[in-house]
Amino acid sequence: MYGGGNTFEGIKTDSLAQEDPAKLAEFEARIARGEKIEPTDWMPQLYRKQLIRMIEQHAHSEIIGALPEGTWITRAPGFKRKMSLMAKVQDEVGHAQLLYSAAETLGKSREQMIDDLITGKSKYSNIFNYPTFTWADCCFISWLVDAGAIVNQIANAKGSYGPYCRALDRICAEESFHLKYGHHCVIYLATGTPKQRAMFQEALNRWWPPMMHFFGPSDKISVHTEVLMRWKVKMGTNDDMRNQFLDMYVPKILELGFTIPDPKLKKNPDTGRWDYTEPDWEEFKRVINGDGPCNKERLEVRRIAEERGRWVREALKSPKTAYVTPLA
Amino acid sequence: MNNLALKELLYKMADDLLILGHRNSEWTGMGPLLEEDIAFSSMAQDKIGQSHALFQLLQQLGEQAPDTVAFTRNAEQFHNCVLVELPNQEYDFSLIRHFLFDTADALRWEMLTRSSYEPLAQLARKIQGELRYHTLHANTWVKQLGSATEESIGRLQHSLETALPYALGMFEKSPYEQDLITDGIFEGETKLQEAWKKEVEKVISSTSLRLPDWKIVTPAYGGRAGKHSEHLQPMLDEMSEVFRMDPTAEW
Amino acid sequence: MKSLDPRVNRLPVPGSPGQIAPKAPLDQFGSFEVFVQPKEGKPFQHEGIVHAPNLEMAFVLAKEAFTRRFLCTSLYVTDTRDVFVSPTTEGEHNAYDLIGEASSDQPKESYEIYHLPRRGKQHIHAGTVEAGSPQEAMWVARQTLNDKQVFNIWAVRSAAIRRTKPEEANLWQTLPDKKFRDASDYKGGDKLKEFLERRHA
Repeated sequence: MYGGGNTFEGIKTDSLAQEDPAKLAEFEARIARGEKIEPTDWMPQLYRKQLIRMIEQHAHSEIIGALPEGTWITRAPGFKRKMSLMAKVQDEVGHAQLLYSAAETLGKSREQMIDDLITGKSKYSNIFNYPTFTWADCCFISWLVDAGAIVNQIANAKGSYGPYCRALDRICAEESFHLKYGHHCVIYLATGTPKQRAMFQEALNRWWPPMMHFFGPSDKISVHTEVLMRWKVKMGTNDDMRNQFLDMYVPKILELGFTIPDPKLKKNPDTGRWDYTEPDWEEFKRVINGDGPCNKERLEVRRIAEERGRWVREALKSPKTAYVTPLA
Repeated sequence: MNNLALKELLYKMADDLLILGHRNSEWTGMGPLLEEDIAFSSMAQDKIGQSHALFQLLQQLGEQAPDTVAFTRNAEQFHNCVLVELPNQEYDFSLIRHFLFDTADALRWEMLTRSSYEPLAQLARKIQGELRYHTLHANTWVKQLGSATEESIGRLQHSLETALPYALGMFEKSPYEQDLITDGIFEGETKLQEAWKKEVEKVISSTSLRLPDWKIVTPAYGGRAGKHSEHLQPMLDEMSEVFRMDPTAEW
Repeated sequence: MKSLDPRVNRLPVPGSPGQIAPKAPLDQFGSFEVFVQPKEGKPFQHEGIVHAPNLEMAFVLAKEAFTRRFLCTSLYVTDTRDVFVSPTTEGEHNAYDLIGEASSDQPKESYEIYHLPRRGKQHIHAGTVEAGSPQEAMWVARQTLNDKQVFNIWAVRSAAIRRTKPEEANLWQTLPDKKFRDASDYKGGDKLKEFLERRHA
């Protein structure tokens, strides 16, 4: 699960001037033809750096994203929900495994990325810094946060880097289960007792603002992002993604008789885009920079998992095998 | 066929699998390495699934629906052995428990492929592949960590000694033991325990771990008769927190 | 730490918050390439990697990382260092055109050959050849398996592969029954329809 957002802020294109113009032209022509870049191909340093950063953030978002839903893993009501939620949270861990591997093909090891996550050096999707107070919060994530992530991931799967595209194809196929499962849970709450309905309405009220943050602030296409678009690293603007999500899911939420907590939310017939109350971007920045309700807990849980697993990893290391960069 | 005997067998198996599946699921998202996190979660899902299948057999024998039975009973109505309800502790304990339990579980289900109670025999045949993976996984890990570093060997040895009395509690006999054997439903806990000891000895002897003399290990019985540790009721309260908000609601 | 997650409330707290002893670069598990056969009679295809301390552990870990859903009849893994890789081509260029003649006086053994049929796709098993070295295996493959354009070729010594053993063929026996991992098992349509009818009535 991953949103857009903070990934591409402030990139420096200075390094491009040092690249070999012939190789750069060949590289850009390959992307323009619609061919994928494979790990052994020549690529500009900026491309490598931005991809590592993006795929790594995506991987971190999966492994951290396992925690808010994992909050309810021991309390899922009934056999079916118990198994589904376990499988769903497990998938998030599996997605992290796939994405770390894809990032590794660019030259950064998984352990290095995990260390950078724990020390706060690299970021993850902001939305997972919010708490899941009830079962309904967990259902909100399964359905709508995953839905938002799918919008992003389907776009990114058309990007230019082969290993990332392969990982995303696999991830998107698995996400279709998450989305259906999440919707199924919410249908049961919506059509259930008044208490169940109220539970979901409250969750929706809590999660709507972070959901709008999920896609990141409006991004004007600048000289800097233009190059990332041309290289098919960035596949659309944050506003495009947010609009796609609203197009697809606002009707489904309303159909279930729930109220979206934004009186201004309305599709503008003139522009074909959604009007909404501008999300509080100050809060977004504050939370990204560490001051959200759960930032400390999320990182601390990962750190503890890493510390508790240390003896296992140390014991298994063997001089007979050595770390090498994965092939594809 | 003695229905009481059959139900007793099904209940204790279903409860073992539910409780251990639940305990093991607590590791999902917090495992020692990503790949193992995934593997351990899958096996927990298998256990919950097998438990559900057994509760469905019980339902066919006139018991209440699986969700009702699993999510509304109190600790003293559960027939699982105490081994499965103990807290996870560190990974060494979870792994040793997984090894000791799954070795017995695979042997039990293998015996049940020959059960005279055909629905159970069918289920037993169907899940052989899942059980093969569980024992492959457990044996591979115990062999690795049980012969690796001083720390890993020490940890596993300590957990093995802690878990063994409880592991013997898996074979606490049913009041209907003889009926089960006579009716050809199940070949009995004594036979299972002997087969289990041999298998455990085989795997442990290929590591740097030591098994104590079986004679000095006192089995921790009681679970099959509803006498549990202080850990089970809080676990059940947690497990059914949402379900019990309104047991008539559909979730 | 007081958490909404009861599991987190039970966690011991080793070490100090925000601090982690950094790992030495590259002092970590090896990488293993994972191949899956989705259906009987279909070729094995590359699915990804796992990190593991040895080949056997890689097999055990790859099984759930890569075959817990969709179809699978067989799985195998090999150490990434055992994969011999050709140059990657593009456009109209066939990777086999870059394979030079090679021979070896080593005893002949089996090599598995994999093709990348399109950039961005997965490597697919193309066949088995007998050779004395990976270079020779590629050269033999150029003579025998070079029937359409490919972008990259891998050669792996067959003996370096941990395959599914015959007695392990039942590992995926219940995979089709694990419907709870499948989108098609979550049909809320009837409940939704009934609800909408009630609302509009």
